[in-house]
Amino acid sequence: MDFSLTEEQKLIQQTVRQFVERELMPLEHEVLRNEGRYPTGIEPERYRALQLKAKELGFWGINTPEEYGGANLGSVMTALIQMELGRTIVPFSFGGSVDNILLHYSNEKQKQEYVIPVIEGKRISCFALTEPGAGSDPSAIRTTAVKDGNHWVINGQKVFITHGNEADFAMVFAVTDREKPPQRGGVTCFLVDRAMGWTSRPIPTMGGWSPAELFFDNVRVPEDHVLGEVGQGFSLGMQWIGQGRWLIAARAVGTAERLLQMAIDYARQRVTFGKPIAERQAIQWMLADSAVEIQATKWLTLHAAWKADQKQDNRYEASLAKLYGSNMVNRVVDRALQIHGGMGYTKELPIERWYRDVRVTRIYEGTDEIQHYIIARALLKGYVHLGTWD
Amino acid sequence: MKIFVCVKQIPDPNTVESKLDPATKRLVRTGVSLVLDPGDETTIAAAIKLRDSLGNSELTAISMGPASAQEALRRALAMGVDRAILISDSALAGSDVLGTARTLAAALKRENPDLIFCSTESTDGYTGMVPGAIAEFLGLPQLTFAREINVEGTKAVIKRVTQTGYEVVESPLPAVVTIASGSFEAIYPTMKGIMSARKKPFSQLSLSDLGLDPSQVGEAGAREQVLSIGKAEARAAGQIIKDEGNAAEIIADFLQRHQLL
Repeated sequence: MDFSLTEEQKLIQQTVRQFVERELMPLEHEVLRNEGRYPTGIEPERYRALQLKAKELGFWGINTPEEYGGANLGSVMTALIQMELGRTIVPFSFGGSVDNILLHYSNEKQKQEYVIPVIEGKRISCFALTEPGAGSDPSAIRTTAVKDGNHWVINGQKVFITHGNEADFAMVFAVTDREKPPQRGGVTCFLVDRAMGWTSRPIPTMGGWSPAELFFDNVRVPEDHVLGEVGQGFSLGMQWIGQGRWLIAARAVGTAERLLQMAIDYARQRVTFGKPIAERQAIQWMLADSAVEIQATKWLTLHAAWKADQKQDNRYEASLAKLYGSNMVNRVVDRALQIHGGMGYTKELPIERWYRDVRVTRIYEGTDEIQHYIIARALLKGYVHLGTWD
Repeated sequence: MKIFVCVKQIPDPNTVESKLDPATKRLVRTGVSLVLDPGDETTIAAAIKLRDSLGNSELTAISMGPASAQEALRRALAMGVDRAILISDSALAGSDVLGTARTLAAALKRENPDLIFCSTESTDGYTGMVPGAIAEFLGLPQLTFAREINVEGTKAVIKRVTQTGYEVVESPLPAVVTIASGSFEAIYPTMKGIMSARKKPFSQLSLSDLGLDPSQVGEAGAREQVLSIGKAEARAAGQIIKDEGNAAEIIADFLQRHQLL
């Protein structure tokens, strides 16, 4: 079994690490100071300039097909890149990406109108599925779309929508046939421009994630704005959600590694009762436990990514990685803060911010409870055979 | 033009705490994360800039080191260097400045270079003597501490960093040029560079390829002897001057005594 990275993987990883250290980490203080001011913590123009600088190096469309100008590096490489990007509190992503369902289910007209502008960074999308009464259980959505001539009329409300404040169009999931269960043709996905009449309101949160509430009051959408087929919405929604789970675990690895390194450095230099605290068993155990859990997450994540690259169903592995990784990073940040003592609680260091930021990873893209459910169901229904390699 | 850049793989200065082996008195290089010397990255950037401005030129990176140094050279290729040469031989272990320069010079000589770039010093050993020794072995002029370099006809012209500004220094080609640290912005490898790095010419040479005798290099050929190693003295506490009307005078005297004024 070969666990080593290829030469290309190593070079890409090193390059992203340098980019993070040289271009992003110097912005950390600013990002901490600007909390709540911009969705990314830095002015949108500067954020864009960083994306364009990376684009010049070819870091663009990491998972976007080449025919759209992307680098299309595959899932393992994407995981390695996310691990590097997770090392900084600056919430940076390379440009040139597009939601998987938008890419795969759009028709030619929609590609011109939505996919290409999103890849080029000229338009911003948001994925609007969750509702006040339908989060983990998307089959409970209440937003409706009723056919009126050659338009659909959408009414309802969406909540916790990432990029919902900045987006100029939304992928909106609405019930189009009450007679059918959502999983069997009752829900449809629509591409709805903000200009068609929906509004948004930011939701203040405890961390850097700033989602929105979206309101649809008789929003009229032309019938050619259906993404995929009428009634296909539930399946599209599940595909969108599934794509990102192990990426959360990948980010968590980078964040936790940075935090652990900060804890190690601090433990070596902080002296109490005549000895560096690194020599105290209580501290050593926290460091060791963190290292074990980070390593475990790393391999869970890379395995899920590898399965995706093999075009195998990786939903079970993605849930393992997401559940373990999001809990791991919450434990590691807590230990890092504890080791730093009062310093960890101040706003001088990014630790307290991370402490607040990572909490949401146990909630979004499928809560802990949903991941447990998926894993248990796979075991109980016999989808997974323990002790086998496949 | 045939341009060369000498590079080195070193323990990652960002993650590795430098340790000296008390027995060999050498820097510990095994079991640690190794990278292309960050100083060399800017030297490569300078060489690429010149190559691109000249046109019709080829840039080759050359390194002496163990097989692992291949990775540092691949990185140089990913950054945009055209070709790489690794000189690797077990007899080279323990080479001092003289042995290193002799080896690099022997490999460079076969190539008839027009211009050889070196960093002023490596970020691990910091002797800063290898470039001068290479120039000596090859009988070439050496231009040092360049912050800007141009080729005008058959001359190399540099701006040489001084304490107060710069001097313009020129020499006939071929020549060895050392780059002043911090004078050029480091560049990143590009995705295209990374993906094509493996396809670029890469050659590996041994001592016999260079016609060198193992007794001239490595431990056997070393003329330097490290007699002892020790920790640098901890910095003493500063002096606090209480202003009794003459503080400025005392400070000025202090600065003058230390030739800081």
